[in-house]
Amino acid sequence: MDVIFAWLCWIFPLVGVPLSPVLARVHPKLRDYGEVFLSFLAAVCSVMLIPYLFHPEMLPIDSSVTWLTVPIDLNLGVLVDPLSIVMANVVAVISFFIMVYSVGYMKGSPSLTRWWMFMNFFIGGMLLLVLSNNLLFLFFGWKIVGLCSWGLIGFYYNDEKKYWIGGPPPTKCTSPSHCGLKAMIMTSAGDLLLLGGILIIYAYSGTLNILELYETASTWIPEMSKSSGLITLTVVLLIAGPVGKSAQFPLHEWLPEAMAGPGPVSALIHAATMVKSGVYLVARLIPIFFYGYWVAGCTEALSFFILIAWIGAITAFVAATQGMTAVELKKALAFSTVSQIGYMMLALGVAGLTMSGLEGGFTSGISHLMSHAMFKAALFLCAGSVIHTAGSIYMTDMGSLKKYMPFTWLFMSIAALSLMGVPPLPGFWSKDAILASVSASHVYSLFLIALITVAITSFYTVRFMAMTFYGEKSENVKKLEKKGAHLGEPHFTMVVSCGILAVMILLLGFFFPLIEPLLHENFIFSIFEKLHLPLGHHEAHSMLVPVLSVAFIAIGAIPSYLIYISARFDPKGILEKHTSLKALHKFFWNRWYIDSFYYRFFVDGMIWLLPRVVKYVEDPVDRAFHVRLPALLNFKKVYDKIKEEKVRELSYNIIYILIAMLLLLLFILFVVVMK
Amino acid sequence: MMIPYILLQTIIVPVIASLFILITRRKIGRKSKWIPGITLLYTTALLFIVAISVYPGGEIHEDYGWGPQVMFGLLADGLSLPVALIINIICTALSFYSLHYVEHRIEIIYGEEDEKTQLSYHTMYYWLFLLFPASFMGIAFATNLIVLYLFIELLVIPLYFIMSYIGYVDRFRVAMMCFLWGIVGGTFVLFGSVLVYSQIGSFEIAELHTLAGNPMVFWIALLILLGLSTKLAIFPLHIWMRWVHAEHPTCIAGLLAVYANIGAYVIVRVLILPLYDDFKVFGLPLMVMALLTMVYGSLLTLAQDDVKRFCAVSTISQISYSLLGLGALTVCSIEGGMFYFLSHILGKTILFSTAGILVYTTGIRDMRQMGGLASKMPITATLWIFGALILSALPPLSGFAAEWVLFTGIFKFGVHANPVGLIIAILGISAVILTIVYTFTAAKRIFFGPLKPELANNSKIRDPPLSMSLPLLILAVISIVMGVYPKPLLDLLHSVIGLL
Repeated sequence: MDVIFAWLCWIFPLVGVPLSPVLARVHPKLRDYGEVFLSFLAAVCSVMLIPYLFHPEMLPIDSSVTWLTVPIDLNLGVLVDPLSIVMANVVAVISFFIMVYSVGYMKGSPSLTRWWMFMNFFIGGMLLLVLSNNLLFLFFGWKIVGLCSWGLIGFYYNDEKKYWIGGPPPTKCTSPSHCGLKAMIMTSAGDLLLLGGILIIYAYSGTLNILELYETASTWIPEMSKSSGLITLTVVLLIAGPVGKSAQFPLHEWLPEAMAGPGPVSALIHAATMVKSGVYLVARLIPIFFYGYWVAGCTEALSFFILIAWIGAITAFVAATQGMTAVELKKALAFSTVSQIGYMMLALGVAGLTMSGLEGGFTSGISHLMSHAMFKAALFLCAGSVIHTAGSIYMTDMGSLKKYMPFTWLFMSIAALSLMGVPPLPGFWSKDAILASVSASHVYSLFLIALITVAITSFYTVRFMAMTFYGEKSENVKKLEKKGAHLGEPHFTMVVSCGILAVMILLLGFFFPLIEPLLHENFIFSIFEKLHLPLGHHEAHSMLVPVLSVAFIAIGAIPSYLIYISARFDPKGILEKHTSLKALHKFFWNRWYIDSFYYRFFVDGMIWLLPRVVKYVEDPVDRAFHVRLPALLNFKKVYDKIKEEKVRELSYNIIYILIAMLLLLLFILFVVVMK
Repeated sequence: MMIPYILLQTIIVPVIASLFILITRRKIGRKSKWIPGITLLYTTALLFIVAISVYPGGEIHEDYGWGPQVMFGLLADGLSLPVALIINIICTALSFYSLHYVEHRIEIIYGEEDEKTQLSYHTMYYWLFLLFPASFMGIAFATNLIVLYLFIELLVIPLYFIMSYIGYVDRFRVAMMCFLWGIVGGTFVLFGSVLVYSQIGSFEIAELHTLAGNPMVFWIALLILLGLSTKLAIFPLHIWMRWVHAEHPTCIAGLLAVYANIGAYVIVRVLILPLYDDFKVFGLPLMVMALLTMVYGSLLTLAQDDVKRFCAVSTISQISYSLLGLGALTVCSIEGGMFYFLSHILGKTILFSTAGILVYTTGIRDMRQMGGLASKMPITATLWIFGALILSALPPLSGFAAEWVLFTGIFKFGVHANPVGLIIAILGISAVILTIVYTFTAAKRIFFGPLKPELANNSKIRDPPLSMSLPLLILAVISIVMGVYPKPLLDLLHSVIGLL
């Protein structure tokens, strides 16, 4: 056990960034394996931190070096506590498998150097984010991952038609570079507000160190609450960051388009890790606001939890409904990611709604993060393999792929069942824990939304599995068969990584009842005892929640099974018959019109505004200074007396200067006399 | 280890080199193009030596008699040194960047003239170019208002001639416009200085603090601020920027960004440091103007299709970040403002020069005709992205650290001046999104998307020669170093500004 591993964990991948072009010079193979090896080292380092979880009394550890002393005192360092250990492991271990997968997936791509640079930069940035001991470097990593997300979504920057996402017509298609830009702008909007929030906190607390912020909360939170509305404002600013980065309502619209990136990118950045950074940040901030409301008694601090809970619930529901209509495999998964992160936010939100809710909400949110990272990464990697084989992003171009890709089918099924929340897979445990803590908060509207979303989740999960692996062969598959194309399992690194992730899901599922108490104990120790937060009375687990949860899974899964797998009903026929369903379908298909609204308002608005800025402000001012003003000082007589064109212009201008000087002199005289 | 007249050398050596080119231009001919680069490498080395002795908080002061009331004094302290050093590095980089660019530009404009005429334009560029670093060093180190004014005015001269001889389309008119704005702005500064003399009988900046509390300070500050505002392009005095920055040859584009932005340094040196309490009146108005200019400048930038004008107009909004910090008047925000100034001129030099590379290789200025160039010009695309990262404050380049220090100061001011200050701070930080929008949208328009067939088939379109890209890459590396480890720079700045 050594804290140096926490440092090396994020330093190794960052070393890989400048190393990539250097190694490429030596040999491309060396570059590929070298870069994967660095991410392997990061994974090893993170695993080396796990033993700390068995000795929670040694945590938290803050190890730092001086980075800046004036004008702001800041130490760059790592914070090792249960939360950061869990996050670092999720990030580093999954990253490593995805790096292995991408050796096969990206084979033959011409710009692999760029690929490895961005991937390792991402991993390093993400690990810095979760391990940093202060909010500035957390934000530093936060921006790095955003940048890498932009670079990797738009990886195929030449926008060849086959990489476009969206459609099928008449729904519009979007090019990768456009998608990257969209992600960059939408998440940055949140990031900047987040920075504002951090700086307000800094202005009051005088520190950015996370532990010091916890320790000094008793002085600066009451100070802040003296100006009314300030805490609420700070909360809104702070939440804007996670809302943008974790694709929560109302800034969730970038994530579906982010699927334009290569498969491993979707798995790593837009499912397993980066989009969780918002959840992580919220979890980091919870002790502060929990303290603020329940101990220091600042009523405004509660707004943090209310906002988070409702944003989470609304997002979970809105995104899940969209997932029911998606026809692109990766987009269906993207909607599901947004929805599942909504669950995590919901859990973290209800953690502060009651005094006793903290440990339940906190633990369930983080364990869902963990299990989701695993099964969603597996889902995306399998989806990548399927898309690779089928040569199309549309599920309507797949179908009946089970017999061609038995392994992928198996692995993906395990992950999908976990997503639905079928016991005893990890998704069941963590989702059940979330539902239990929501119901314990006694806000039944939230609980109802969460339950309905469970049903919708299992509906769309069965649907995308069915459309991919079951049912009739699509025209596309038949065509490929006829052509004699290779319809089967992809490169072995891809299958192996999916397989390992599937096994890990199974293991996590079986050991979950053991792991959860361990996390529980750690979180209690690190949050309550170290921070002196009140430990509320814990309500006994009722059996009602798991029963309800399984029942709602069935409510969603059965109709979906009947429609898509056993084909009892024709989905198109149902829609034709019921106009209300058709309208609903259209509403969901158009993503609640939120995306179109943004394009209308911001993009079209800009296009409308910009020429007018030039026309009504810039040009008149320009004319005033460069035409009118000189014309005002019209020395036509002097002007005409001088014959030669150039001299004329020059003297004209010199007179202009002279007049200005004269006026200035008069002005000064006036001022001096006035004195 | 002390080199005699070390500060004076940084000004005089470029001037001597300039005269040398002027006198021997017929003899050495085109070889003269190497002289600026070598000279500036030497002065940069000198400045590094100065940095070593200034770093722990020391200073170097040189005085030369220069007439009855005016001392030609030079001062290198924690504030002036980093400014001088970064500017000198930029000048050095651009003198190498110019090698190919000037040749190309002269060939286009004067290609049909005889060899002798071409040669004279060629050498003229280089001896005029050397006046830039000399004047910048003068502005940075001057201890005297008249000397300061002199160097501010001196800058206008090479600007005028270079622009009118090897500038772009409407170059004569625009050069004249630039000249006029420069002179008028300088005049305001001069009159402000004269007013100072009328009050305290001295032009020394070190004596300025005796003015504190004097009712005239308001007028003095107003005059100097107005004069500098024309350089700093505060709305509505930004109006020349769109023309001037777009029509000059790109090899001095970075210097124009410095020319515009150095006013921020002068404000700190002349107004804020000695007259802090009296300057407070201007704090809030300055912030409001800066905010207005930030938003307006960004919108205007988004409206541009011309790649050179795009960079030009973005300068308007970028300079205002520094001013927003200066207006907030906290130690953090002033240091952040200076840091942002240095970061911005690095970024803008990279961006402008990259635009120059695009014009140089493709001959196109309109972004609508570009697209997909990243596959043919990967290094150029990387450079543009570095520039974009600096401007839009993304790590690990210097923009991030600079913006963080800057806004820390602004928010400190904001929470104390709640609610107006806080509103300005939040609006200010939100306005950064516009920068991200325009830099990354432009990157997409120029470098990404499908490659146009007429560009794809043009074999001339490829990454520029190393003499153009390497200097810019070095600037990017400097920016990364400043972004990852800003301690030396901030220590230096704090040794002076922290005394407030």
